[in-house]
Amino acid sequence: MRPILCLLVLSFCAFSQQMTGRAAARFLDQATWGPTPQAIDVLEKKGITDWLEEQYGAKLSDLPDQPLLDSAGKTNQNLAPVTAAFFQNAVNGPDQLRQRVAFALSEIWVVSQTTVPSAYAFPPYWRIFRDNAFKNYRDVIKAVTLSPAMGKYLNMANNNKANPAKGTAANENYARELMQLFTLGLTELNPDGSPVLDSSHSPVPTYNQAVVTNMAKVLTGWTYPVTPGTAAKNNNPAYYFGQMYAVEAEHDTTSKAIFNGLTIPAGQTADQDLDTLIDDLMAQPTMAPFVSQQLIQHLVTSNPSPAYIQRVSEVFSSMHGALRPVVAAILTDPEARAGDVAGAAVSPGFGHLREPVLFLASMLRGLNASVGPANTLNGYSQELGQNLFVAPSVFSYFSPQYQIEGGLLGPEFQIHSTQTSADRANIVSAALYGTLDKTTTLNLTPFVDLAGNVGNLVNYIGYIFVHSGMSAVLTQAATAAAAAQSTPLAKAQAALYVVLTSSECQVIH
Amino acid sequence: MFTRRGFIRVASASVGSLALRPFGLLPAMAQSASNYRALVCVFMFGGNDSNNTIIPMDDSSFKAYTSIRGSLALTAADLTQTVYSTSNAPYAFHGKLPELASLFSSKELAVVANVGSLVQPLTRAQYQAAQVPVPVNLFSHSDQQAQWQTSIAQGNGSTGWAGRVADYVEAQKMNSSTFPVFFSVAGNALLGTGATTQPVAVAPGGSLNLLGFNSTPAQQARYDSLTSLLTTDSGLSLAQAANNILANSINDATNLSNALAKGTNLTTAFPDTTLGQQLQQVAQIIQVAGYLGMNRQIFFCSAGGFDTHGGELETHDALYPQVSQAISAFYSATQELGMADSVTTFTESDFNRTFQPATTNGSDHAWGGHHMVIGGAVAGGQIFGAFPAFELGGPNDTDTRGRWIPTTAIDQYGATLASWFGIPDSALSTIFPNFANFGSQKLAFLG
Repeated sequence: MRPILCLLVLSFCAFSQQMTGRAAARFLDQATWGPTPQAIDVLEKKGITDWLEEQYGAKLSDLPDQPLLDSAGKTNQNLAPVTAAFFQNAVNGPDQLRQRVAFALSEIWVVSQTTVPSAYAFPPYWRIFRDNAFKNYRDVIKAVTLSPAMGKYLNMANNNKANPAKGTAANENYARELMQLFTLGLTELNPDGSPVLDSSHSPVPTYNQAVVTNMAKVLTGWTYPVTPGTAAKNNNPAYYFGQMYAVEAEHDTTSKAIFNGLTIPAGQTADQDLDTLIDDLMAQPTMAPFVSQQLIQHLVTSNPSPAYIQRVSEVFSSMHGALRPVVAAILTDPEARAGDVAGAAVSPGFGHLREPVLFLASMLRGLNASVGPANTLNGYSQELGQNLFVAPSVFSYFSPQYQIEGGLLGPEFQIHSTQTSADRANIVSAALYGTLDKTTTLNLTPFVDLAGNVGNLVNYIGYIFVHSGMSAVLTQAATAAAAAQSTPLAKAQAALYVVLTSSECQVIH
Repeated sequence: MFTRRGFIRVASASVGSLALRPFGLLPAMAQSASNYRALVCVFMFGGNDSNNTIIPMDDSSFKAYTSIRGSLALTAADLTQTVYSTSNAPYAFHGKLPELASLFSSKELAVVANVGSLVQPLTRAQYQAAQVPVPVNLFSHSDQQAQWQTSIAQGNGSTGWAGRVADYVEAQKMNSSTFPVFFSVAGNALLGTGATTQPVAVAPGGSLNLLGFNSTPAQQARYDSLTSLLTTDSGLSLAQAANNILANSINDATNLSNALAKGTNLTTAFPDTTLGQQLQQVAQIIQVAGYLGMNRQIFFCSAGGFDTHGGELETHDALYPQVSQAISAFYSATQELGMADSVTTFTESDFNRTFQPATTNGSDHAWGGHHMVIGGAVAGGQIFGAFPAFELGGPNDTDTRGRWIPTTAIDQYGATLASWFGIPDSALSTIFPNFANFGSQKLAFLG
């Protein structure tokens, strides 16, 4: 069916369909790497409930395992095949929702090649999030904690108990960031995400330095899996397949006072201590809003209302950290869906800037791209501040608390500068007027075919890229740019350039 | 309030140059104004263990250092030759920082010891009894990075101290153009976010020019469509914010590329490292500051990887040469430009690290650290402030791991830099709201 005819049919049949095209495209911007005509069509027919069920069971995309050594026999640090596969999966993979949730989790639980040079560490680490995206947050905590990649990154591996003779203390790195970044945050939260205040109206910290010091002891005594063909030691060298295991001789078995007045009893094994600790973490009411708010920010909006956070965190709490109902609650919440009806008001702070990977993937999907196995698309993401698997620190590419002018949250804006905003426009230009890389080709035919009628062309671009919700000024600007061109291709390119570089498209809303 | 830099669409602008502000508005001066001054921040992200950057070499200090630091203790073989302060006290720099040691000897580098985030001065007893306010979320990377940039230890600062300096510079029209005072070669930085001014960020060797336009009417129409949208309020705050950033970028692009085209290649060689390339870009901007209409500029550079919980000695061996060589090359470049007395470089970092090592051959998050100020105007070869007593559980320790309670505040450090930059005392208390808590005492490292 020709797109424009499809549009007409849809508009006539809106009430008999489960969803409008606008609602479907909008939902796909939140739940996938971006709408395509086919994806919009499928979602319209299925409706959200059936679509979600199908996504939970969709065939898993994978990232290819990498050799340990390069051709010179040195540590293989080449992540190019992994990042290329990441983009192929994003553009073509069937498990779109799983990928988005996994990527969001990976931006909370960061491991970066800055400290973990081996490329082969990353596909197994990524699979933790892929495989647990619809399971339980507890499973994520446990799997990451015992991951040798995280063990290397935040020094959980070979973190021996204090050695008085050497004057050393247990390493505090994983202990601190497990609380600050992965589970609780710095401040106790109410279910709606607001800080718990003490009697003098000051926020209540979730822990203090003494807790960090004691938590470091809880997490002592773990080492890397044994490298095949070598003998086990108390402190094995880095090896990134499998899970870390406990060496009781290096575990601190004293009693440890941790957060919220809890104590890990003396005399437990490393594994028992870890399970007790995870039980204690899961029991903290702060975790639900802390995790829920970040997942909402990654999928739907930088500035969820307190009521939205509370609705999602109540699901997180009542379902004991089960992520499938949490993801469904985020995506089906009335606040997420409020903009589905054309002309409906959303709050001024709604939406979020596409992060670089999402900007690239959604553009490619909407432009019917074919992405080859040797693509170098991550180079563009890196230029924009999001080098896959090489976040600058455990604080990821950007902070969930980053504020834009005026005080609203805009996490992705932390890497959106005068430089990278110009770079974005230039990447759109390269995609439309040149080539992105040798293995990536776009198919502009559906747009070119409509360019005989600029109105139809601009409507169709809006249908794919702005949920049929372009403002009058964007419609006018795209129309004027297209009308000034002489060939159908030039019209399509010009209108696409104006829409894809526009803030209305860059900010999903 | 949005603070877009007056985005003016010039209808007659040629598409080829994308000029939005006529270049003729800028002064035609070929050289920088004689009173030009620049501050250059080198931020070491992750928390540099400055306990191993510079070490007091008097017998008792070095003995305590060697004993307590254990596996992290540098031996004489790992250190530079002993250098002597102007008061003849012996110090040594990490052996991978020979250029910095040399700048200390030649009195172009000063050290500010045990400086950090503070709400007000406090003792170990006061800290342990929680008797006086302390900075919010001590020992947290994100919070302490922010406090070094905002100089507001109570937290929640939405502007950086250099951004507030930039606000003042712009309000007083200390520059003859509206090109941003704060120039980052390392991405967005809270340090340079002002209440009324916004920074410009340019990657080293990068350009802000929009590509794909030529001078045909068809391309002009496409360009006009793009720019027309930047002045439209869509009612979405985040879309507005994105518009403002791109508008600023377009506004700055032409001025920048036109000015840089007037520059000549520096003969000073810069190392091919991230920091080296950043500082080379800064030197090239300083060279053409006059063409940009700038009398006052603040630059932001950064290097990462200093979060040395493990493998610290190896990490320092890899990172410190980059810091030392880049800063040294930059100082040489300012000499080449004849501007060494007009440019002051200073370091910042999240925090210092525990004096006591962790079991993983690294160190954990701590507090007060030692920083460096470099430039021709610097009272070099001196230590300002005081080193802590090297004693776990001692008078400068928060607990028992050697997390030094700072004895000099960021506010004092920043105010000294800002004062040299030209901010009058009357404005310092606004820019550094906690400065009065430290008796408004500046340090003497800048004349």
